[in-house]
Amino acid sequence: MMEKEEQKNFFQEIINQHKGILFKVARLYCRDEEDRQDLLQEMMIQIWQSLHKYNDQYKISTWLYRISLNVAISYFRKSSKREQRYTPLTEKTAQIALEDKSENENQLLLLEQFISELKEIDKALMILYLEDKSHTEIAGILGMSVSNVGTKISRIKEKLKSRFSQLT
Amino acid sequence: MNELELKQLWQTTNKKLEENLAMNVKLADDLTRVKVHGIIGSMKPIKLFTIFIGFLWVVIGAGYLGGVFANTYQEANKFFLYSATVQVVLTAIALGIYFFQLSLIYQVENTDPILQTQKKLAQLKVSTLRVTRIMFLQIPVWTTFWWNESMLSDWNVLQLGVIASVTVAAIILSIWLFLNIKYENRHKKWFHLIFSGNEWSPLMKSIDLLDQIKDYEPDGNVQI
Repeated sequence: MMEKEEQKNFFQEIINQHKGILFKVARLYCRDEEDRQDLLQEMMIQIWQSLHKYNDQYKISTWLYRISLNVAISYFRKSSKREQRYTPLTEKTAQIALEDKSENENQLLLLEQFISELKEIDKALMILYLEDKSHTEIAGILGMSVSNVGTKISRIKEKLKSRFSQLT
Repeated sequence: MNELELKQLWQTTNKKLEENLAMNVKLADDLTRVKVHGIIGSMKPIKLFTIFIGFLWVVIGAGYLGGVFANTYQEANKFFLYSATVQVVLTAIALGIYFFQLSLIYQVENTDPILQTQKKLAQLKVSTLRVTRIMFLQIPVWTTFWWNESMLSDWNVLQLGVIASVTVAAIILSIWLFLNIKYENRHKKWFHLIFSGNEWSPLMKSIDLLDQIKDYEPDGNVQI
Protein backbone atom coordinates (compact mmCIF):
# COMPACT_ATOMS: atom_id res chain seq x y z
CA MET A 1 0.00 0.00 0.00
CA MET A 2 1.42 3.38 -1.01
CA GLU A 3 1.78 6.27 1.42
CA LYS A 4 -0.29 9.39 0.67
CA GLU A 5 2.69 11.47 -0.47
CA GLU A 6 4.07 8.61 -2.55
CA GLN A 7 0.62 8.17 -4.10
CA LYS A 8 0.43 11.86 -4.94
CA ASN A 9 3.83 11.82 -6.67
CA PHE A 10 2.94 8.65 -8.56
CA PHE A 11 -0.34 10.23 -9.67
CA GLN A 12 1.34 13.36 -11.00
CA GLU A 13 4.00 11.28 -12.71
CA ILE A 14 1.54 9.03 -14.56
CA ILE A 15 -0.69 11.95 -15.50
CA ASN A 16 2.29 13.81 -16.93
CA GLN A 17 3.67 10.80 -18.76
CA HIS A 18 0.39 9.44 -20.11
CA LYS A 19 -1.78 12.53 -20.47
CA GLY A 20 -1.95 11.84 -24.21
CA ILE A 21 -4.07 8.72 -23.55
CA LEU A 22 -6.64 10.71 -21.60
CA PHE A 23 -6.76 13.56 -24.11
CA LYS A 24 -7.17 11.27 -27.11
CA VAL A 25 -9.95 9.26 -25.48
CA ALA A 26 -11.72 12.43 -24.31
CA ARG A 27 -11.37 14.02 -27.76
CA LEU A 28 -13.03 11.12 -29.52
CA TYR A 29 -15.85 10.62 -27.02
CA CYS A 30 -16.58 14.32 -26.54
CA ARG A 31 -16.42 16.85 -29.35
CA ASP A 32 -17.71 19.69 -27.19
CA GLU A 33 -14.83 21.48 -25.44
CA GLU A 34 -16.70 22.16 -22.19
CA ASP A 35 -17.93 18.56 -21.90
CA ARG A 36 -14.45 17.33 -22.71
CA GLN A 37 -12.94 19.25 -19.79
CA ASP A 38 -15.56 17.71 -17.47
CA LEU A 39 -14.78 14.28 -18.84
CA LEU A 40 -11.02 14.75 -18.42
CA GLN A 41 -11.52 15.85 -14.84
CA GLU A 42 -13.75 12.84 -14.16
CA MET A 43 -11.09 10.53 -15.63
CA MET A 44 -8.40 12.02 -13.42
CA ILE A 45 -10.61 11.78 -10.33
CA GLN A 46 -11.23 8.09 -11.09
CA ILE A 47 -7.51 7.46 -11.63
CA TRP A 48 -6.67 9.15 -8.34
CA GLN A 49 -9.35 7.24 -6.47
CA SER A 50 -8.27 3.90 -7.97
CA LEU A 51 -4.55 4.46 -7.49
CA HIS A 52 -4.33 2.50 -4.24
CA LYS A 53 -5.69 -0.53 -6.10
CA TYR A 54 -3.14 -0.34 -8.92
CA ASN A 55 -1.67 -3.76 -9.55
CA ASP A 56 1.72 -3.72 -11.26
CA GLN A 57 0.98 -6.98 -13.05
CA TYR A 58 -0.66 -4.67 -15.62
CA LYS A 59 1.19 -2.14 -17.74
CA ILE A 60 0.30 1.34 -16.55
CA SER A 61 -0.98 2.22 -20.03
CA THR A 62 -3.34 -0.81 -20.00
CA TRP A 63 -4.65 0.27 -16.63
CA LEU A 64 -5.11 3.89 -17.80
CA TYR A 65 -6.88 2.84 -20.99
CA ARG A 66 -9.30 0.73 -18.95
CA ILE A 67 -10.14 3.62 -16.63
CA SER A 68 -10.32 6.34 -19.27
CA LEU A 69 -12.42 4.29 -21.69
CA ASN A 70 -14.74 3.05 -18.95
CA VAL A 71 -15.23 6.60 -17.66
CA ALA A 72 -15.76 7.97 -21.18
CA ILE A 73 -18.38 5.34 -22.09
CA SER A 74 -20.18 5.73 -18.75
CA TYR A 75 -20.07 9.53 -19.05
CA PHE A 76 -21.64 9.35 -22.49
CA ARG A 77 -24.36 7.01 -21.24
CA LYS A 78 -25.23 9.03 -18.14
CA SER A 79 -25.61 12.31 -19.94
CA SER A 80 -28.94 13.09 -21.52
CA LYS A 81 -27.85 16.26 -23.31
CA ARG A 82 -25.34 14.42 -25.48
CA GLU A 83 -27.99 12.72 -27.55
CA GLN A 84 -27.31 12.75 -31.28
CA ARG A 85 -24.23 14.92 -30.93
CA TYR A 86 -22.49 13.40 -33.91
CA THR A 87 -24.13 14.32 -37.14
CA PRO A 88 -22.72 12.10 -39.86
CA LEU A 89 -20.60 14.09 -42.28
CA THR A 90 -21.98 14.43 -45.79
CA GLU A 91 -19.85 15.21 -48.82
CA LYS A 92 -21.08 18.81 -48.86
CA THR A 93 -20.57 19.56 -45.14
CA ALA A 94 -17.17 17.87 -45.24
CA GLN A 95 -16.00 20.15 -48.02
CA ILE A 96 -17.13 23.24 -46.14
CA ALA A 97 -15.44 22.03 -42.95
CA LEU A 98 -12.20 21.22 -44.68
CA GLU A 99 -11.60 24.48 -46.50
CA ASP A 100 -8.33 26.26 -45.67
CA LYS A 101 -6.67 23.19 -44.16
CA SER A 102 -3.70 21.20 -45.37
CA GLU A 103 -4.30 17.79 -46.93
CA ASN A 104 -2.96 15.98 -43.88
CA GLU A 105 -5.03 18.03 -41.45
CA ASN A 106 -8.10 17.35 -43.56
CA GLN A 107 -7.52 13.62 -43.52
CA LEU A 108 -6.96 13.66 -39.77
CA LEU A 109 -10.12 15.68 -39.18
CA LEU A 110 -12.08 13.22 -41.28
CA LEU A 111 -10.57 10.26 -39.45
CA GLU A 112 -11.49 11.76 -36.08
CA GLN A 113 -14.98 12.56 -37.30
CA PHE A 114 -15.52 9.03 -38.62
CA ILE A 115 -14.26 7.48 -35.40
CA SER A 116 -16.56 9.79 -33.42
CA GLU A 117 -19.49 8.44 -35.39
CA LEU A 118 -18.75 4.84 -34.37
CA LYS A 119 -20.63 3.09 -31.55
CA GLU A 120 -18.99 3.35 -28.12
CA ILE A 121 -17.31 -0.07 -28.00
CA ASP A 122 -16.20 0.06 -31.66
CA LYS A 123 -14.71 3.46 -30.93
CA ALA A 124 -12.70 2.08 -28.00
CA LEU A 125 -11.42 -0.74 -30.19
CA MET A 126 -10.42 1.64 -32.96
CA ILE A 127 -8.52 3.99 -30.63
CA LEU A 128 -6.49 1.03 -29.32
CA TYR A 129 -5.85 -0.25 -32.82
CA LEU A 130 -4.65 3.14 -34.06
CA GLU A 131 -2.45 3.48 -30.98
CA ASP A 132 -0.69 0.40 -32.34
CA LYS A 133 -1.57 -1.85 -29.40
CA SER A 134 -1.10 -5.55 -30.03
CA HIS A 135 -4.20 -7.71 -30.40
CA THR A 136 -3.33 -9.39 -27.08
CA GLU A 137 -3.15 -6.05 -25.29
CA ILE A 138 -6.40 -4.85 -26.88
CA ALA A 139 -8.06 -8.11 -25.81
CA GLY A 140 -6.82 -7.51 -22.24
CA ILE A 141 -8.08 -3.91 -22.12
CA LEU A 142 -11.47 -4.68 -23.62
CA GLY A 143 -11.96 -8.14 -22.13
CA MET A 144 -12.52 -10.16 -25.31
CA SER A 145 -10.77 -12.95 -27.17
CA VAL A 146 -7.74 -12.18 -29.35
CA SER A 147 -9.37 -13.74 -32.43
CA ASN A 148 -12.47 -11.61 -31.96
CA VAL A 149 -10.27 -8.49 -31.83
CA GLY A 150 -8.95 -9.25 -35.32
CA THR A 151 -12.40 -9.86 -36.75
CA LYS A 152 -13.88 -6.70 -35.28
CA ILE A 153 -10.96 -4.50 -36.35
CA SER A 154 -11.27 -5.72 -39.94
CA ARG A 155 -14.96 -4.86 -39.99
CA ILE A 156 -14.46 -1.39 -38.56
CA LYS A 157 -11.57 -0.67 -40.92
CA GLU A 158 -13.83 -1.58 -43.83
CA LYS A 159 -16.42 0.88 -42.53
CA LEU A 160 -13.79 3.63 -42.26
CA LYS A 161 -12.42 2.93 -45.72
CA SER A 162 -15.86 3.09 -47.20
CA ARG A 163 -16.53 6.43 -45.41
CA PHE A 164 -13.26 7.83 -46.78
CA SER A 165 -14.01 6.60 -50.28
CA GLN A 166 -17.48 8.21 -50.18
CA LEU A 167 -15.83 11.61 -49.72
CA THR A 168 -12.99 11.26 -52.21
CA MET B 1 -6.18 4.20 -47.46
CA ASN B 2 -4.22 1.20 -46.20
CA GLU B 3 -3.42 0.11 -42.63
CA LEU B 4 -0.04 1.84 -42.51
CA GLU B 5 -1.41 5.11 -43.88
CA LEU B 6 -4.25 5.02 -41.37
CA LYS B 7 -1.87 4.55 -38.45
CA GLN B 8 0.59 7.15 -39.76
CA LEU B 9 -2.24 9.61 -40.07
CA TRP B 10 -3.28 8.87 -36.50
CA GLN B 11 0.28 9.41 -35.27
CA THR B 12 0.05 13.02 -36.40
CA THR B 13 -2.51 13.43 -33.59
CA ASN B 14 0.25 12.62 -31.14
CA LYS B 15 2.46 15.34 -32.59
CA LYS B 16 -0.38 17.82 -32.42
CA LEU B 17 -1.08 16.86 -28.83
CA GLU B 18 2.57 17.19 -27.83
CA GLU B 19 2.51 20.73 -29.18
CA ASN B 20 -0.75 21.74 -27.56
CA LEU B 21 -0.78 19.84 -24.32
CA ALA B 22 0.27 21.84 -21.36
CA MET B 23 -1.02 19.71 -18.57
CA ASN B 24 -2.12 21.79 -15.71
CA VAL B 25 0.00 20.43 -12.87
CA LYS B 26 -1.97 22.47 -10.37
CA LEU B 27 -5.17 20.74 -11.51
CA ALA B 28 -3.62 17.32 -10.92
CA ASP B 29 -2.47 18.50 -7.51
CA ASP B 30 -5.95 19.85 -6.68
CA LEU B 31 -7.52 16.54 -7.63
CA THR B 32 -5.47 14.73 -5.03
CA ARG B 33 -7.43 16.71 -2.45
CA VAL B 34 -10.82 15.76 -3.86
CA LYS B 35 -12.79 13.84 -1.29
CA VAL B 36 -14.16 10.46 -2.27
CA HIS B 37 -17.91 10.94 -2.59
CA GLY B 38 -20.14 8.27 -1.17
CA ILE B 39 -23.18 7.01 -3.03
CA ILE B 40 -25.30 9.93 -1.76
CA GLY B 41 -22.66 12.55 -2.57
CA SER B 42 -22.32 11.35 -6.15
CA MET B 43 -26.04 11.71 -6.94
CA LYS B 44 -27.62 14.64 -8.76
CA PRO B 45 -29.63 17.03 -6.51
CA ILE B 46 -32.89 16.42 -8.41
CA LYS B 47 -32.54 12.66 -7.98
CA LEU B 48 -31.72 13.08 -4.29
CA PHE B 49 -34.76 15.32 -3.87
CA THR B 50 -37.04 12.78 -5.59
CA ILE B 51 -35.74 9.97 -3.40
CA PHE B 52 -36.11 12.13 -0.31
CA ILE B 53 -39.76 12.91 -1.19
CA GLY B 54 -40.41 9.21 -1.88
CA PHE B 55 -38.82 8.24 1.43
CA LEU B 56 -40.82 10.89 3.29
CA TRP B 57 -44.02 9.69 1.58
CA VAL B 58 -43.37 6.11 2.71
CA VAL B 59 -42.47 7.08 6.29
CA ILE B 60 -45.46 9.41 6.76
CA GLY B 61 -47.79 7.00 4.94
CA ALA B 62 -46.61 3.99 6.96
CA GLY B 63 -46.93 5.95 10.22
CA TYR B 64 -50.43 7.14 9.42
CA LEU B 65 -51.69 3.79 8.12
CA GLY B 66 -50.09 1.94 11.03
CA GLY B 67 -52.00 4.27 13.39
CA VAL B 68 -55.30 3.61 11.58
CA PHE B 69 -54.77 -0.18 11.64
CA ALA B 70 -53.90 -0.08 15.34
CA ASN B 71 -56.48 2.39 16.65
CA THR B 72 -59.38 3.22 14.34
CA TYR B 73 -59.63 0.24 12.01
CA GLN B 74 -63.38 -0.33 12.62
CA GLU B 75 -64.39 3.19 11.63
CA ALA B 76 -61.92 3.57 8.77
CA ASN B 77 -62.90 3.54 5.09
CA LYS B 78 -61.55 0.11 4.09
CA PHE B 79 -61.26 1.03 0.39
CA PHE B 80 -59.01 3.96 1.23
CA LEU B 81 -57.10 2.01 3.88
CA TYR B 82 -56.20 -0.97 1.69
CA SER B 83 -55.60 1.12 -1.45
CA ALA B 84 -53.21 3.39 0.44
CA THR B 85 -51.49 0.41 2.08
CA VAL B 86 -50.85 -1.24 -1.29
CA GLN B 87 -49.53 2.07 -2.69
CA VAL B 88 -47.16 2.69 0.24
CA VAL B 89 -45.88 -0.92 0.29
CA LEU B 90 -45.20 -0.88 -3.48
CA THR B 91 -43.42 2.50 -3.22
CA ALA B 92 -41.29 1.18 -0.34
CA ILE B 93 -40.34 -1.95 -2.34
CA ALA B 94 -39.47 0.16 -5.41
CA LEU B 95 -37.33 2.53 -3.32
CA GLY B 96 -35.53 -0.41 -1.70
CA ILE B 97 -34.74 -2.05 -5.06
CA TYR B 98 -33.64 1.30 -6.50
CA PHE B 99 -31.20 1.90 -3.64
CA PHE B 100 -29.87 -1.65 -3.81
CA GLN B 101 -29.21 -1.30 -7.55
CA LEU B 102 -27.57 2.09 -7.06
CA SER B 103 -25.24 0.60 -4.45
CA LEU B 104 -24.30 -2.20 -6.89
CA ILE B 105 -23.62 0.36 -9.66
CA TYR B 106 -21.43 2.31 -7.24
CA GLN B 107 -19.34 -0.78 -6.50
CA VAL B 108 -18.46 -1.55 -10.14
CA GLU B 109 -14.72 -1.16 -10.78
CA ASN B 110 -13.55 1.14 -13.57
CA THR B 111 -10.22 -0.69 -13.64
CA ASP B 112 -11.76 -3.93 -14.96
CA PRO B 113 -11.89 -4.70 -18.71
CA ILE B 114 -14.24 -2.43 -20.68
CA LEU B 115 -16.76 -5.04 -21.82
CA GLN B 116 -17.02 -6.56 -18.35
CA THR B 117 -17.46 -3.20 -16.59
CA GLN B 118 -19.83 -1.71 -19.14
CA LYS B 119 -21.93 -4.88 -19.26
CA LYS B 120 -22.33 -4.85 -15.47
CA LEU B 121 -23.20 -1.15 -15.42
CA ALA B 122 -25.62 -1.35 -18.34
CA GLN B 123 -27.30 -4.47 -16.94
CA LEU B 124 -27.77 -2.78 -13.58
CA LYS B 125 -29.14 0.33 -15.22
CA VAL B 126 -31.53 -1.70 -17.38
CA SER B 127 -32.61 -3.70 -14.33
CA THR B 128 -34.03 -0.45 -12.92
CA LEU B 129 -36.92 -1.34 -15.24
CA ARG B 130 -38.04 -3.52 -12.33
CA VAL B 131 -38.67 -0.37 -10.30
CA THR B 132 -40.81 1.05 -13.10
CA ARG B 133 -42.75 -2.22 -13.40
CA ILE B 134 -43.51 -2.19 -9.68
CA MET B 135 -44.58 1.45 -9.77
CA PHE B 136 -47.02 0.65 -12.62
CA LEU B 137 -48.59 -2.07 -10.43
CA GLN B 138 -50.08 0.63 -8.24
CA ILE B 139 -52.24 2.13 -11.01
CA PRO B 140 -55.44 0.25 -9.91
CA VAL B 141 -55.36 1.50 -6.31
CA TRP B 142 -55.50 5.10 -7.58
CA THR B 143 -58.94 4.20 -8.96
CA THR B 144 -60.24 2.64 -5.72
CA PHE B 145 -58.93 4.77 -2.84
CA TRP B 146 -61.91 7.16 -3.00
CA TRP B 147 -64.57 4.39 -2.95
CA ASN B 148 -66.76 4.01 0.13
CA GLU B 149 -69.41 1.60 1.41
CA SER B 150 -72.40 3.95 1.02
CA MET B 151 -71.51 4.42 -2.63
CA LEU B 152 -72.09 0.70 -3.21
CA SER B 153 -75.65 0.90 -1.86
CA ASP B 154 -76.61 4.36 -3.20
CA TRP B 155 -75.24 4.32 -6.75
CA ASN B 156 -77.16 2.81 -9.67
CA VAL B 157 -75.90 -0.09 -11.79
CA LEU B 158 -74.68 2.16 -14.60
CA GLN B 159 -72.60 4.33 -12.27
CA LEU B 160 -71.12 1.28 -10.57
CA GLY B 161 -70.50 -0.30 -13.96
CA VAL B 162 -68.48 2.72 -15.09
CA ILE B 163 -66.21 2.84 -12.04
CA ALA B 164 -65.80 -0.95 -12.03
CA SER B 165 -64.81 -0.85 -15.73
CA VAL B 166 -62.21 1.85 -15.05
CA THR B 167 -60.73 -0.27 -12.24
CA VAL B 168 -60.74 -3.47 -14.28
CA ALA B 169 -59.06 -1.61 -17.17
CA ALA B 170 -56.43 -0.25 -14.74
CA ILE B 171 -55.80 -3.76 -13.38
CA ILE B 172 -55.39 -5.22 -16.86
CA LEU B 173 -53.12 -2.35 -17.94
CA SER B 174 -50.91 -2.54 -14.84
CA ILE B 175 -50.50 -6.33 -15.05
CA TRP B 176 -49.78 -6.13 -18.77
CA LEU B 177 -47.13 -3.42 -18.19
CA PHE B 178 -45.69 -5.38 -15.25
CA LEU B 179 -45.29 -8.48 -17.41
CA ASN B 180 -44.13 -6.75 -20.60
CA ILE B 181 -41.76 -3.99 -19.51
CA LYS B 182 -38.55 -5.94 -19.99
CA TYR B 183 -35.32 -5.83 -21.97
CA GLU B 184 -36.62 -8.31 -24.55
CA ASN B 185 -39.29 -5.81 -25.64
CA ARG B 186 -36.82 -2.94 -26.04
CA HIS B 187 -37.42 -2.56 -29.77
CA LYS B 188 -41.23 -2.36 -29.54
CA LYS B 189 -42.90 0.95 -30.40
CA TRP B 190 -44.90 1.17 -27.14
CA PHE B 191 -41.67 0.64 -25.18
CA HIS B 192 -40.06 3.64 -26.88
CA LEU B 193 -43.21 5.65 -26.29
CA ILE B 194 -43.13 5.01 -22.51
CA PHE B 195 -39.39 5.53 -22.21
CA SER B 196 -39.00 8.59 -24.42
CA GLY B 197 -37.64 11.89 -23.10
CA ASN B 198 -34.38 12.98 -21.50
CA GLU B 199 -35.11 11.36 -18.16
CA TRP B 200 -35.02 7.92 -19.76
CA SER B 201 -32.06 8.62 -22.02
CA PRO B 202 -29.45 6.84 -19.79
CA LEU B 203 -31.71 3.76 -19.69
CA MET B 204 -32.17 3.68 -23.47
CA LYS B 205 -28.43 4.22 -23.98
CA SER B 206 -27.73 1.31 -21.62
CA ILE B 207 -30.04 -0.86 -23.70
CA ASP B 208 -28.19 0.21 -26.83
CA LEU B 209 -24.85 -0.52 -25.16
CA LEU B 210 -26.01 -4.01 -24.15
CA ASP B 211 -26.91 -4.64 -27.78
CA GLN B 212 -23.38 -3.58 -28.78
CA ILE B 213 -21.81 -5.81 -26.11
CA LYS B 214 -23.98 -8.71 -27.26
CA ASP B 215 -22.41 -8.28 -30.67
CA TYR B 216 -18.94 -8.62 -29.07
CA GLU B 217 -19.68 -11.76 -27.08
CA PRO B 218 -19.10 -15.18 -28.67
CA ASP B 219 -22.50 -16.53 -27.60
CA GLY B 220 -24.27 -13.15 -27.94
CA ASN B 221 -26.00 -13.80 -24.65
CA VAL B 222 -26.99 -10.88 -22.43
CA GLN B 223 -28.92 -11.75 -19.27
CA ILE B 224 -30.82 -9.05 -17.39
